[in-house]
Amino acid sequence: MTLAHARSTSPAPGSGVAAPSHRHGGGLAAGLVVLVGVLAVVAFVSVTLGTRDVGLATIWKAFTDFDPDNTSETVIRELRVPRTLVGLVAGMSLGLAGAILQGVTRNPLADPGIMGINTGASAFIVVSIMVLGVQGLGTYIWFGFLGAAVAIFVVYGVASFGREGATPVKLALAGAAVTAGFYSVTTGVVMTNVDALNELRFWQVGSIAGRYWPVFTQTAPFMAVGVAVALFSGRALNGLSLGDDMAVALGQRIRLTRSIMFVSVAVLAGAATAACGPIVFIGLVVPHVARALCGPDYRWVMVYTALLSPIILLSADIIGRVSAGDGELQVGVVLGVLGAPAFIALVRRRDLAEL
Amino acid sequence: MRLRRPRLVAIGLIAALALSACGSTDDGASADEEGWTYESGSGDTISLDAKPERIIASAQEAAALISYGIKPVGIYLSQPVETEPALKGVDLEGIEIVGKTWGKIDAEKAAALKPDLIVADYWPQEKAYSGFEESVSAESKKVADLAPVIGANQKGSLEDIVEWYEGFAESVGVDTSGGKYAEGRQKYEAAKKRFQDTVKAKKDLSVLAVSPADDMLYVAVPAYSTSLTDFKAWGLDVIDPTNPKKDFPYWEYLSWEKADKYQPDLLLLDDRDYDGSLKTAKKQPTWNKITAAEADAITPWPGFWIHTYDQYAGQLDQLTDAIDKADANLS
Repeated sequence: MTLAHARSTSPAPGSGVAAPSHRHGGGLAAGLVVLVGVLAVVAFVSVTLGTRDVGLATIWKAFTDFDPDNTSETVIRELRVPRTLVGLVAGMSLGLAGAILQGVTRNPLADPGIMGINTGASAFIVVSIMVLGVQGLGTYIWFGFLGAAVAIFVVYGVASFGREGATPVKLALAGAAVTAGFYSVTTGVVMTNVDALNELRFWQVGSIAGRYWPVFTQTAPFMAVGVAVALFSGRALNGLSLGDDMAVALGQRIRLTRSIMFVSVAVLAGAATAACGPIVFIGLVVPHVARALCGPDYRWVMVYTALLSPIILLSADIIGRVSAGDGELQVGVVLGVLGAPAFIALVRRRDLAEL
Repeated sequence: MRLRRPRLVAIGLIAALALSACGSTDDGASADEEGWTYESGSGDTISLDAKPERIIASAQEAAALISYGIKPVGIYLSQPVETEPALKGVDLEGIEIVGKTWGKIDAEKAAALKPDLIVADYWPQEKAYSGFEESVSAESKKVADLAPVIGANQKGSLEDIVEWYEGFAESVGVDTSGGKYAEGRQKYEAAKKRFQDTVKAKKDLSVLAVSPADDMLYVAVPAYSTSLTDFKAWGLDVIDPTNPKKDFPYWEYLSWEKADKYQPDLLLLDDRDYDGSLKTAKKQPTWNKITAAEADAITPWPGFWIHTYDQYAGQLDQLTDAIDKADANLS
């Protein structure tokens, strides 16, 4: 029985669906509960820790008997809670966007950061603010979607030239070029008014500081839709992971599926970037961690990614908040520092190609 | 690679010599045998064979030169002309803009202007002149090779900076003894006296100079701001933040959670983008936890762009009015 073999990561041909994961379904469900618990703890810590010392009693009072004149209570309700929620939804969105990309392109190094999608979104947003005079997140978020979509289109389009189509190497190269191009656009626009740098610096380094209730209420609905689509695309991604020919033979409409997948990536990455600026590594690293925990079945990978991503994002933010005295390190910076060795470890794994 | 620098210097020297030769044949009246010399804020003494005639200057420094009737041939900006407070109402006709964004000077355009001097302030903390700091583009750094760079010292007293620019004007032949220049000095002395008297009458008043950003509140360190250094010396209680950033000590970086760490009676808001900064600040739930913010006791602070007596007089008057109106017992 092939199932008795320990990590069988490649699906048996003709199985219609990826091989059952090497772990028992029950084990996976238990893992899920643990992750929910960890996420709850991390969210709790995110609300309790910060540059300002706020005791647990004050936090409790902030929710049960709010005194608007009490600065600490205001900090909890108006700064820390929305920031935690934004980090939660944005983290989820970025991780799922990465998982979808890795499934659709069959490229283990696909990620909205590497493929220029986040930088595309922020470039379009910055141009809309500085050049078109757009004010308000509710409007410029649409430029974020547009920028993300353009980046996907360009990267996938350029990488698809040639006989072999969009191989992982070509995708990575096209992505690197597009990222560099969009980043220099952002920098160029931002630098035309270096004194507005204070407001625009955001778009060069991701951060969930300064993200309050208005940001949450205006971006969460889009991210919620994207997350829902992502969570239900496990089966479709399993099919795509068998290869185009196999998927077609199994009756999957790959063009339609791919289009829906790319649109949801544009929405997820565009909304997350509009909320927090370009945040790297979540979409790249978390799906791999998820796969290591739950196996290759995308129906589980999506759920595990959805829980692991905010855990990692919020943890990075917490680290940034307690390690710089009365100031803070942006989450984009912390993730860059922590993500780089993780990325290198990832690239060096021998079984990386087997997705 | 290593040979290129000496070659560039050689070309520069030849160009400078050619230029000074041209200068002496065109302008018989000036005593060119004496050459020109002036001390820079960096402590270096800059000497040229003749008075500088083709100056490229950084935006705010250029505004000062223009006010003394010295017209640069080129100027480089760090923000659009429309929003730069120093260039408000300044006629830039005939001056070529060789850099529109911070850190990016077009070296070709600058070289084509054949400058004999570059005027930009010196920042001792960064050991660099405006426009040639560590993080500017490589092309920008090359522009500093075109001609000697000279400017006032941006640490210490703002009054010294203003005096430096007047001295510079004198050195290139501008007669600053009478007319509008004397008026400017008188206005300044009057404004300074009024400032000092008003401050003395409000001994308990404390002020805090800040620059709000989306995700952080920057609090200015008086020792690294020439205007705040002067205000403190003239009796104003400018709060000194306790924890400046180690490698960039101009500011303390404060998280918005701790916006209420300092409680002044009057807030001085960085005026490089006053309206934008105020909008950003008002979006923060903790901005009004600073008592002065809630009471709207906020006034513009001309952080770093003053270079002339006229400018200083005007800004001092505005600040004196705000101090006069402020409630010294607010916090």
